Amino acid sequence: MARARVEQQPAATGMTLVVMVGLGVAFLLFMAFLNVVKSGNLLNESNLLYAALIFYAGAGTLYLGFGITGIPSYVRFASLSTWAGVLANTGAIAHRWYEAGHPPFASIYEMLLSFVWTLAVLTLIAEKKYGVKVIGTVTMPLAIVGVVLMQLLRTEVHPLVPALQSTWLHVHVTLAMLAYAACALSFALAMMFLIQDKVRTETFLAATSLFGIATYAGVLTRFEKWGGLSVAAWNPEEKSEVFLAKGVRLFVVIPDLGWLMLLVLAAIATPLFLYLIWRKTGNENSIDIANRAVFVSILLQVLALVFFLLRARDGRYGSLDAEGLFPTSLAASPFILSGLVGGIFVSLLYLLLLWRREDLERMLPSAEELDRITYKTISIAFPLLTLMIAAGAYWANRTWGSYWSWDPKETWAAITWLVYAGYLHMRITRGWRGRRAAYFAILGFAVVMFTFFGVTYLLPGLHAYA
Amino acid sequence: MAGNLTSVPRKTWQTLSSIKTGVILLIMVVIISAAGTVILQRPVTEADEMQRAYSPQVLRTLDGLGLTDIFHAWWFVALLVMVSLSIVAASIQRFPNSWRYYSRPYKSPDETFRKALATQARIVIKDEDSGLAAAEHVFQRAGLKPERMVRESSFSVFGERNRISELAVYIVHASLLLIFLGGIVDALYGWRGYVAIARGEQSSQLELHNGTIRTLPFAVRCDAVGQDNYADGTPKKWWSNLAVLEDGRVVMRKEIVVNDPLVYHGVRFYQSSFGNTGKVDKIMFTVGPANGPGETREIALAPDETLTLDADTTVRIAEFIPDYVVRDGQVYTRSTQVGDPAVHLVVESKKSGKAVNFWIPPIPGFEQNASSPYKFQATDLQMVHFTGLQVSHEPGQWAVWAGVIVMGLGLGIVFYLVHMRFWAVPVRDAQGRLVLWVGGTANKNKDVFEQRFRKLVQDIESEVKVQSQSCAAAHATSLAGD
Repeated sequence: MARARVEQQPAATGMTLVVMVGLGVAFLLFMAFLNVVKSGNLLNESNLLYAALIFYAGAGTLYLGFGITGIPSYVRFASLSTWAGVLANTGAIAHRWYEAGHPPFASIYEMLLSFVWTLAVLTLIAEKKYGVKVIGTVTMPLAIVGVVLMQLLRTEVHPLVPALQSTWLHVHVTLAMLAYAACALSFALAMMFLIQDKVRTETFLAATSLFGIATYAGVLTRFEKWGGLSVAAWNPEEKSEVFLAKGVRLFVVIPDLGWLMLLVLAAIATPLFLYLIWRKTGNENSIDIANRAVFVSILLQVLALVFFLLRARDGRYGSLDAEGLFPTSLAASPFILSGLVGGIFVSLLYLLLLWRREDLERMLPSAEELDRITYKTISIAFPLLTLMIAAGAYWANRTWGSYWSWDPKETWAAITWLVYAGYLHMRITRGWRGRRAAYFAILGFAVVMFTFFGVTYLLPGLHAYA
Repeated sequence: MAGNLTSVPRKTWQTLSSIKTGVILLIMVVIISAAGTVILQRPVTEADEMQRAYSPQVLRTLDGLGLTDIFHAWWFVALLVMVSLSIVAASIQRFPNSWRYYSRPYKSPDETFRKALATQARIVIKDEDSGLAAAEHVFQRAGLKPERMVRESSFSVFGERNRISELAVYIVHASLLLIFLGGIVDALYGWRGYVAIARGEQSSQLELHNGTIRTLPFAVRCDAVGQDNYADGTPKKWWSNLAVLEDGRVVMRKEIVVNDPLVYHGVRFYQSSFGNTGKVDKIMFTVGPANGPGETREIALAPDETLTLDADTTVRIAEFIPDYVVRDGQVYTRSTQVGDPAVHLVVESKKSGKAVNFWIPPIPGFEQNASSPYKFQATDLQMVHFTGLQVSHEPGQWAVWAGVIVMGLGLGIVFYLVHMRFWAVPVRDAQGRLVLWVGGTANKNKDVFEQRFRKLVQDIESEVKVQSQSCAAAHATSLAGD
């Protein structure tokens, strides 16, 4: 349906992007191939992962191109590229599985591997089965962030500590990945619903700004005196964080980076401030300025990311808890890194919406349909969440002799479950449709993200393995 | 039914059973348990860590408010009980309606219903009977178990599938209550404890998590315990061979590993840790005569064992010092962990009654190694290992697992089984033609249902055509036969 409408547009000669992306992919693959020929091993995990990254990046670019121009052939090539990426990703998983002798769910690296795979497959399903074509503009960048994170995290096959040698663990984590991917999809659909439901672009501006504020406020919990930013220290030989005691990481302070982050926070908060002025006075000028401020904040965010990359990659830094200088690494701060990348990406999506809203509205399925698909995705996610918690409880019972011990991860999984249960009750008994349901779905995904990242990072507990 | 009750119980009931109450209670659970993940919790966090994290004043306030052990506080349990009551009340409130709906399905639609129904169609038919027969046939094929409804003045056909879907939500709620029940039973009658048993020893006493001692009606003996490593030295597996003894008789044996506990009379023993007791099991030595050539041999000595070396000489271990240090002319041990171990052997001669102190390593001022008739070299040290067992008794867990399975089934039905109902009624339309009115509803997934309905109507239409053709053909043959 969406496609028919797109094809009514004047035939666009938009092969330039396809050709460029194609050449780019070919070039990168060729370069990689040259390297591989030197080392002699073609089909190992890291090469496959690299290939997947290239294909996903190509697909992401094409999806974005489709989002901006609406040229249908882009989607065709984007799907092709996604297929190729999924193939390479599957190969990487298979290789990992073969090497490790267990399904790849034991560490956060292996879980990302599976998560990205699920996300790409779901994207293809959403596109083919439900005709939600631009979903790739949201999911592919997520996949790219996932693969980049994986390149940074440790890749050696670690033997499993005894507590993790259980089939139930694999069941638990597989279900978790499937459920979280479904939740991510429902989130993307809910956002698209809001676009189709004529939520004002200014509201998205405020939301973008709020997301950025939350991200940078999170990063700035690591702000140290005199403008430093404390990050986990990294032992390059062992490829792991440095531990002072069991579960207590050693942190080092990168000087001056804290100030930069604070500056970015201010830049990101500006649009929200201007939005509030606009709400109060109705002065359209302030929205204009706010949009420009978003642009500026993107530049600053990129700057912050580049500085973070440079400073974290080399150099040794002092610590507040121990004598001497220690190195750090990007791999030691995966969450800060994904926060920074995520912030840039969300701001870019806002610009896409700002500039191309009409095209987007034309290409997306109708609001009612999106509302229905969101509900369907959640009705898939909810039973998966339930089974995931049950499998986790069963595993815990076999390992520690207790099926529920209220550790933070468990508790937050239960909270996630309750939020989605609330969504379902409101929808079924109170007939909540449309916007309220969409906000609820977004809230649900926010809680999922906190359970997945926040709990591991901020709250202590038994789930220390991940 | 609540009409003749006084207003207070009725109000209470209405409040308890309303969705609003349920949602408010759930929001409270969410907020409180989220707080429980942010504030450090007592039983898990060690006392000194709590003191490091919070100032004394804050800690006193948190303790006073019960916020340092939220999940075991009476008010949190009370909140969960309130949630259960709310679920029960809400279910009771709504169940009679659903049950009526379930037990007495609406089979003969009247005119108002037919007008209001969203999904309907009309098919022109020749006569009532053939139309109804066509509908019946198509319903049958679609797995709808058609029923011919006979009223005083009218006939109709009714078909449906997955009626159970209307009750599935009660199945899910019941399963949740079952899980809560299991949790409550475990909170009241379950316990968790820990016991460490050295190899070769047995125990029937556990230290529970609240610090009390519990004596089991049977004892557990550890026959062997060990750790297997990966090639890189990280632990791969901890195992122990356990035997259960009742009245001194072995009634059960099992090798347990981390994910595979021993279960006896509802008490589960989990492998949780492994270590050494600091006691020596055996020390291995190479022994050879002190002067001149002679055979050396291997011996193993236990701490309270005396070994005869030849007709005249015996040796025993007088002392084992795991981590020795010499200070003020005395040998001390720094810790019970093996660091710099020292062994003090006594070599005695029966004839002369002379005893020689042989020290490994030779500590000046103590050793008389030179006057010993034999030379000893320590080659290996075997410590007594213990196995650390988590022990738990969870009589309610079966209710929990049953609840989980029922919930899985219930959710499957709730989300994926659609209750579909179809009616076919012959009526006269506005132009006075005889038509078959076909209507249908589904309780979820309405868009897919629409397609299905259209397909069904098409099928009935073609069936009607076939019937009328064959009817016409039959008519023709009968005419020809005349």
